[in-house]
This record gives sequence, C-alpha cells and structure tokens, in this order.
Amino acid sequence: MSQAEPQTPVPVVAARNLCKTYQLGEQQVHALRDVSFEIHRGEFVAIMGPSGSGKSTLMNMIGALDVPTSGQLAIDGTDIGSLSRDELAALRNHTIGFVFQQFNLLARTSALDNVKLPLTYSRPRVADPEAIARRCLEQVGLGARMDHVPSQLSGGQQQRVAIARALVNSPSLILADEPTGALDSATSLEILQLFESLNAQGMTIIMVTHELDVAAHARRLLRVRDGKLVEDAPVNSPPAEVAA
Amino acid sequence: MTLAEFIATAMIALRRNVLRSVLTTLGIIIGVGSVIVMSAIGTGASKQIEAQIASLGTNQLTIFPGSMNVGGRQGGAGSAPPLTEKDLRAIRENVTGLVAAAGNMNGSATVVVGNTNWQTQINGSSAEIQAVRDWPLTSGRFYDAVEAAAGRKVAVLGATVARELYGEADPVGTNVRLNNVPFEVIGVLSVKGQAGGRDQDDVIIVPLATARSRLVGRVRVPDEIGQILVKVDDRYEVSEVQADLERVLRQRRRVAPNAMDNFSVRNFAEFLATRDATARTLSLLLASAAAISLIVGGIGIMNIMLVSVTERTREIGLRMAIGASGSDILGQFLTEAVLLCLAGGFIGLTLGAGVSILISTLFGWPVYISPAVVLMAIFASASVGVIFGFVPARRASQLNPIEALRYE
Repeated sequence: MSQAEPQTPVPVVAARNLCKTYQLGEQQVHALRDVSFEIHRGEFVAIMGPSGSGKSTLMNMIGALDVPTSGQLAIDGTDIGSLSRDELAALRNHTIGFVFQQFNLLARTSALDNVKLPLTYSRPRVADPEAIARRCLEQVGLGARMDHVPSQLSGGQQQRVAIARALVNSPSLILADEPTGALDSATSLEILQLFESLNAQGMTIIMVTHELDVAAHARRLLRVRDGKLVEDAPVNSPPAEVAA
Repeated sequence: MTLAEFIATAMIALRRNVLRSVLTTLGIIIGVGSVIVMSAIGTGASKQIEAQIASLGTNQLTIFPGSMNVGGRQGGAGSAPPLTEKDLRAIRENVTGLVAAAGNMNGSATVVVGNTNWQTQINGSSAEIQAVRDWPLTSGRFYDAVEAAAGRKVAVLGATVARELYGEADPVGTNVRLNNVPFEVIGVLSVKGQAGGRDQDDVIIVPLATARSRLVGRVRVPDEIGQILVKVDDRYEVSEVQADLERVLRQRRRVAPNAMDNFSVRNFAEFLATRDATARTLSLLLASAAAISLIVGGIGIMNIMLVSVTERTREIGLRMAIGASGSDILGQFLTEAVLLCLAGGFIGLTLGAGVSILISTLFGWPVYISPAVVLMAIFASASVGVIFGFVPARRASQLNPIEALRYE
C-alpha cells in the first residue's frame, strides 16, 4: 500500500491540490480549493476556521468519511479517492480514532463495551478486546469506572471514554472534532491536557476547533478560509489573547 | 461482527424498549398462535377420523330400512317396512362376494352385577357379527349360530363394560342382569376405541333373538332386524357387491322398477373419509387465513424497524465512523428484525399450544400439534423477519455517515 520514498517517512496525512465541490441545485459550491499540506507522525495539529470555511469538509476527508472531487488525499500512504465505501470503513477502523463534540457514546452501554465497539468491526479480529479496552480506559484515567453507563458519567468522563474508544485500535491518528465544545472550561483543560500527554507519547492528533485558546494547545495550526488554506504555522506557546 | 455479537447488540437494542418490542411482535404472536391452534384442531379431528376408519374397516356395509338420504325426506325412518330375517337370508343366499352377513338390533339396558350397575348399549346380533366387525375376544368365547337361534341368554361384554363392572377380574362364567333378566357372561371383547364420538367398547352383545324377545320393547314384525351388516370379501369390488346387494333387496322387498329404494346401504368408512377430507380442507383454509396475520405482523415489524432506524441515525453514523461496513449495519438491523419475529413466533407457539390444550380439555376435541407445523411456524416467523426487516436494514446500511453523524 505505502509507496514510501526512501528518505522521508510516509506522512500520516498527505493532501495534494485537494478540491471538493458540491452541487447545490443549480449552483456549484466550492467547499475546498486546491489545498495541499502534510501531517507527519507525532504532530499535534489544530485546524481552525469560521463556519462555512470548508473546515468540516476537510475534516471529513481526513477522517476518510468523504472523498475529494479532485486532487489527492492519502492517509498513511493510502489514497482514499479510489476506495469503496467498505474499504473506507476498514481504513477508518484501522487508522483513525474519532472524538466528537457530543461524545457519541452508546446509551445504556457500559464504558467498557463502548470502548470495545471499534474492535468488534476489526478484521482480522483482535485476540483479547476486553484487555485492550481496559488498558485504554486506564490510560485515560477511568480504570475505576469501566462498568458505568454514560448517564452515570460526567461530560468530561464521557469524553474520556470516547478518547479511550478512539485509542482502542491503536490508530495512526486521532481526529477530534470540537472535542471541548460541550464542556466547561475546567473540564476542557483536562481533556486538552490528556491530548497533550497522548501526543507526548507519540500519538498524532488532529483537532478541529474554532477557539483559539483551544487551538493553542496544539503545536501547529492550519487555518482555512473560503475553502483555502490561508495559514500553516507552528503555534507560539503560550497563546496570545488575540481573538475571541 | 460475529453472529454472537450481532445477537448481543440486537438484544440490547430490543431490551431498550421492551413494551414496544412486545407490541411490535403482537401480529406475529397472533399469527403463529392461530396457525398452531387451527392446525392442531384440524389435524386432531382428521387423526381421529382416520382412527375410526381403521377401526371400522373400509369393506363393511350397513343396510338400514327406509331411505336416510337428506333429499329423501318422504322415505324417513319408520315409514319403510322394517328389515327382517327373510331379507338377511336372501342376502346370504343370493349376494356373492360376502365374507359374512349379520343382523343387528340396538337397545339399551341397565346392567347389574352384585350391587354395581351400569347403563350401556345392547347389540342384539347374529353370531356372524364377530366376523363382520372383525372383533377379537380377550377372554372366553362368542356364541355360535345354534345358541343364537335358540335365543340363549348369553352375553359378550365390551371392554368398557367389563372394566366398569368387574375391574381387573375376569367376568367369564359369572351372571349379569340386563333389565332384570339374568344372562351368563361367556366372553369379553378387545378394545376397539372411539368412533363417531361414541365409545364402541361401551356395549354388550347378546343373540339377536334373545334381544328381540327380552330387551327391545316394540317390534313391528316378529322377525324384525334393525340393521344388516355385511363384510365384503377383499377379492371383490365393494361397489359391485353393493349394487348386487341393492338388486337382491329390491327384488326381495318388491320395490317397483321406478320407485326409490325402501332401504339404504351405507359405507361408513367412505362417509368418514369424505368427512376427513372436508375437515382437512377446512383446517387448511383457516390456517391460511391465520397466516395472513403473519403478513400483517410483518408489516408492523417493518414499520417499527423504519422508525427505529430513523431514531438511531446518529448511532448508525457513529458505528460507520468507527469502521462498521454496510453489511455490518445491515446484519445488525436484520438480526433485530429476525430476533423480534422469532421471539414472537416462540411466544405464539407457546400460546397456540396452550389454547389448543385448553380447547381439548374444555370441549373434549382431539388436538394434535405436529412437529412439522412447529418447524414451519418457526421458519415462517424467521422468514417474515428477513423479508420485512430487509428494507429498513438496507436503508440503515446505505446512510451517509457524515449526515448520519450530524442528524438531529
């Protein structure tokens, strides 16, 4: 699958002249125009942009939920443009860990079973899903609450379960969509610190947000506006109180 | 996903809304339940009739005086001259292809043994009756033609009568009183079972002449016979022998060439066979009517599954995002539908069996639940699940994960 050039390692995400066009009635909407970038192993990248900027479209493609109209997007060296629905599903299962704003945990299902869920869709089957799920829950600090159902957990705890679920398949990257959007600021900070520590352990993290102080926890910032990549720069920590 | 995981996932989803699950399967429950009850009654009836046919034998004919046809009301019982010993003799002498012919007269009597008594049917019969009815003895002997002609007071007990009056003891050699007339018991008949809703073993057989003079009240002619029973030899065609019999009797009873018979010949086994066919057709008809409610039930399942898919759009989106393939989602919802239907099928099966047993105890109807019908009911409910679960499951599997995740 990977056609790695001899010197440089295969980027986790490689976008080249990425375009996405939607047909809305008579009108053609250019959600993304000619976007190119690379994200490498171990990076912590924030993607920012106002609503309607094409940020969500970009995120869907990095998450292998959508395919480009033209240009190329390779995840772990695999060009997603040529994949079928089921191949995309398998790719998501093996290489991407999703974290959502609304957590998206299954109700009335224990934290442990929620974390195990991606493993039930894995092919080939993993040997001991239970043990892996337990390890992931311990990793996010929820070792004592494995049998709790979502309604018995606080928002921050639910998002930790979701992060454990994202980790369970040992993905190449974690894709977080506004992961603190439903949390208060103290809890948000805890979640962002968890991401930072995961990143410190070598996990690649891509986080979509519209808040600058959230993005400030990342080490690289991609800004999207009007479907174009307008900024690609390292984050200067600590963040300035520039914009609201 | 493995089948076990599909089932576990489906169980969680179904348990989330128990009341809805139960209501959804109600159509299947009623459908399967009524198919079971209908077929249990139908099969039971037809099995009983078949047993009666076997106990009667298909080559036995019964001759009654007068026409008993529905259309021949003017020739009803009593209006025609009775059958007599002369008719019986004419049959014995002139009809070919008979194993035996016997006269018979029915009455009833109170049997008294010591201080036990029992009300039973009395058959006054020629000695040949045993050959005609193919009825072996378990003990003692049957009377012969000489004893019968002499009007001896001997009695052969049916199995039920013997059991009721003597229990385990052997009645042979003892005396019974029939309507206060003492009779010597010379034999006990083997068990023949039920026929036409009557216990054939609740009977005492005595010589015809004895019955005529001692037990049956009024006789219109001195040598009157109630019915004549004949057994056709296996080597002859029953219908041909019957035609011969009718010709002999018309001649003997002086029926004018264009007049209707003043007697009727019946083949009870054939009559029962017709009834059996009718019962089968009727139960098949009722069972297929019940099967329609399975289809209605299936539509209910489809409806609720469509609602469920809509309600759980986000869940479907999530499952797809974390790697569920189209067939994973299809399998999940199909499993749910099939499990719902199977559960309904099993509940319906249990209810249907319960109602059948209840009917059998309350009304005394014979019921029989055949394993084939049980298997068919389970298979049918699973099929309903697959057929009506497919459309909702396919809709779920084709959702766009991006839109599904954003739903609500």
